[in-house]
Amino acid sequence: MSKSATVERDVLVFSIWAVLGFGGLALILEGFSRDSYMISLAGTLTIVVGFVAHIIVNGVFDCGFRPGEAALGIATFGVLALAFIASWAVGGLSSTDYWSGLTLFALLAVGLPAYLSTRYGLRGAFSRFHVRHADDGKPAA
Amino acid sequence: MTGMASSIWLPLFALFYIAVMLYWVRVSSTSSLSGDGFFSAGHALSPWISALVIAGASMTGWFVLGGSQQIAAQGFQMPVLIVGGVLLALPGTLFFKRLWFIAERMRVSSQAEIFRVYYHSAFLVVVSVAVTLVFALGFAGLQIRAVAGFIELMTGGAVSRLSASVVLGFILFAGAGIGGMRAIGLFGVIQTVLAFAGIVALSGFALIWSGGFAALNAGLLDLSASDPSAGLFTVNGVIRFTSGLGRGGELANANTALANLSFAFALMGFQASPLIIKLVLSTRSPNGIAAGQTWVTAGFFGAIIAFCIALTGAAGLVDRDLALGGLFSALQTGSPWFAAWIFIGVAAGVQLLAGLALFVAGEGLIRHVYRPYFHSRLSKQGAVTLTRIAIAVLAVLAMLMENLTPVTLSALAALALPMAFQLWTPLLGVTWLPWITRPAAATGVGFGIAGVLLTEPLGYQVLSFFGLELPWGRWPWTIHSALWGMAANVAAVLIISAITNRNALGSEAREIRQLFSGPLSTSDKARGLRSTAWSVTLAWFFLAVGPGLIFGNAAFVVTGDSGPIWLLGMPSLWAWSLAAWVSGLGLIWFLSYKMEMASPVHVAVPPYEPPLRLKKDTSAVEQERLRSLILTGAVGFALAVLIAFSFGG
Repeated sequence: MSKSATVERDVLVFSIWAVLGFGGLALILEGFSRDSYMISLAGTLTIVVGFVAHIIVNGVFDCGFRPGEAALGIATFGVLALAFIASWAVGGLSSTDYWSGLTLFALLAVGLPAYLSTRYGLRGAFSRFHVRHADDGKPAA
Repeated sequence: MTGMASSIWLPLFALFYIAVMLYWVRVSSTSSLSGDGFFSAGHALSPWISALVIAGASMTGWFVLGGSQQIAAQGFQMPVLIVGGVLLALPGTLFFKRLWFIAERMRVSSQAEIFRVYYHSAFLVVVSVAVTLVFALGFAGLQIRAVAGFIELMTGGAVSRLSASVVLGFILFAGAGIGGMRAIGLFGVIQTVLAFAGIVALSGFALIWSGGFAALNAGLLDLSASDPSAGLFTVNGVIRFTSGLGRGGELANANTALANLSFAFALMGFQASPLIIKLVLSTRSPNGIAAGQTWVTAGFFGAIIAFCIALTGAAGLVDRDLALGGLFSALQTGSPWFAAWIFIGVAAGVQLLAGLALFVAGEGLIRHVYRPYFHSRLSKQGAVTLTRIAIAVLAVLAMLMENLTPVTLSALAALALPMAFQLWTPLLGVTWLPWITRPAAATGVGFGIAGVLLTEPLGYQVLSFFGLELPWGRWPWTIHSALWGMAANVAAVLIISAITNRNALGSEAREIRQLFSGPLSTSDKARGLRSTAWSVTLAWFFLAVGPGLIFGNAAFVVTGDSGPIWLLGMPSLWAWSLAAWVSGLGLIWFLSYKMEMASPVHVAVPPYEPPLRLKKDTSAVEQERLRSLILTGAVGFALAVLIAFSFGG
C-alpha cells in the first residue's frame, strides 16, 4: 500500500472511532447512568458498527488491522473487562448494568472469531492461533 | 453525580483530542520536509479529503454557534440561514474548477498568487491577504472567544475564559503552525466528522428535551399566536427605508426580504475567500469538486443546517433554557460524557476554521507580501520559519483581542464575509468574464470594501473617532453591507471596464484565456442550456432568499377558528426553506454537472513556461520600499493622531 493510501486509511479509521467509538462509549455510560439496558445496547451496537466500518475500510484498502491497532483494541478490552469484574466484585452493578456489560463483552468476544473467519475463512482463522513451529513447508505425512 | 465525576470527562476527551491532533501534526511535518509540503500539502490532498474539509470549514463550527443562536433569538425571520448549505456551495461550484486549472497551469497555490499572475495587481494581492487577516483575527477569534466562554460555563468557572483562550491559542498554533497545510487537511477530516456528529447529537438532545418534534412545534405555534412574538415567524416586508441599526433602525424591524437576500450574498463570500481557495488549490485533482459541492456541502451538510441547526435554534426559541449555553449546561449536569463529546465536536469545527484562517493569513503575510515585495531572496525554508512566527504572532494577537477588546473583535468579525464577497468580481474576471480589466477589478474591489466599511460599525466608528459622523448606521435600508459593497463594486467594474483597454493582458492572463477557450471550454450542450441556467438561478434566488420569501410567510398556514393552523406541522417559513434547500440542491447539481461548471474533466495541463528574463538584483529597491513603508506608516500614524486630537475623540 502506498504511503498516501496508508495515510488516507488512517484518517478514515481515526474518523470512524472519533464518532462511533466515542459516541458508543457515551451511550453506554448514559445507559449505566440511567440504568437503561436499551441505551447501553444502542451504545454497544454503535461500537459494533464502528468495528464493521473499520473492517470495511480495511477491505477497501486491502489490509488488516495494524499491530498498534490490535494492541490498543486488546488493551482497551482488557481494561474494560477488568473494570467490569471489579465493579461486579464490589457489588456496584445493578442488574441492568450487569446485563449491559455482559452484552458488550459477549458481542466483542463473538466479534473476534467472526472477523477472523470473514477475513481468513474458518480454517484459516483457526490457523492464526494454531502455529506449527516445525512447519518446513512440506505437506503433512 | 459528584462534581468530580462530572468534570473529569471534558479534560479527558480534550486530552485525547489533543493527542490525536499532535499525532497528525507529527505525521504531516515528517511528510513536509520541503517548503512546498508545508504550504500546500504538496498539492496532494485527495479530492474526498478536500470535499469533506471544505464542507466542514464552510459551515460546521460557526454555523452551530451563530446560526442556532440567531434562530433562538430572532426566530425564522432570517430563513436564509436554513438554506445556508446551498448558498455556501454556490461560489465553489462557479469558481473552484477553473481556479484549480489556473493553479495547475501557472504552478501557484493561493488566491493572492492567482491575482498576481492574472492581474499583476499588488493591490488585489494585499486585499486578499487583508481578508485572510480579518478572518484569522476577527471571524475565527470571535468563535474561539465563544468556545472559551462555553469552557468556562461547563467547568463552572474552574477554567476561566482567559485560560481557555490561551490553551486554545496554543492548540491552534500547534495544529496549523507546526503541521502546515497537510495537517490542516488530514486532521480536518477528523474535525469535520466530529463536528458533524456533535451537531447531530446536540440537536437530538434539544429535540428530546423539547418533548419531540410535535411538542416543539406546538410550542412554536403558541409563540406565533401571541402578539409580541408573532413577528418571529414572518419576513418583515421587502425593504424598510431606515437609516440603519444605531441610527433609528430597530433590529426587530430589520429582517426584511432584502435583509435576507443581502445576507445570502454575505454567506456567498465564504467560498470566495482565500481560505477555502487555499484548500482547493492544495488538492491533487479537480474531479471531486462537483460531488463535493453538490452532495457533501449542499446536500449532506445543507441537510444538517436545515434540520439539526434549525431544530437546535427552534428549541432555544421555545425555551430559553434550551439555547446553546443552556443546552451545554444541562448536558454537563446530566450527561457529562455527552457534553464533552459534543463540545469537542463543536470546538473541533471552530478549530478547523481558525487554524486554516491563521495558516492562510500567516502564509499571505510572508509569501505573498513580505517575500515578493520586500525580501525576494528569502529561501523556501526561511519562508516556512517566518510563516510559523507570523502564525504564532497572529494567534497571540487573536488571543489578546478575544480577552481585551471583544467589541473590536466583533466589529472586525462582521467585516469578514462581506469583504470576502467583494472578491467575487476579480474572481469572475479570472474565471468567466474576460472583459473585466485589471484597473476595473482593482477599483471595483476598492469601492466594494469602502462600501462595506461605511455600512459596518468598524468603518463608521473609525470615522466617528476622526470627527466625521455618518448619517446612517449599520445596514441602512435593512440591506447588509455585503450588498452595499457589491453595488459600489459592480458599478465601478462596469464603468471602468467600459473605458479601459480590454486587450491589455499580460502573457500569463493570455495563457489562462487560451486554457478556457481551448481544452476547458464548455460543450455545445452546456452552452445551449445557458438561458435555462440563468432563469432557474434567478427564480431560485427570488423565491428562496429574495423578495419571494414574502410568499413563504403564509404559504403553509391557514387561519382556523382557534387561530392559525400550520399545514405541515411546522412554521411556514421553515417548511418554505426546506423546499428551497431541496430545490437549491437541484440547482447546484444542475450547475455543477449539466452546466459543466464543476464536473470532472480529464485533461492534462502542462506547467506554463514563462519567457526567460534576466534576473535583476532587486535588494536595493526592496530595502528602499521597506523604508518607504515604515516612513509612510509613521507619518500616517502621526496624522491620524493629529486628526483625532483635533476633531474626534
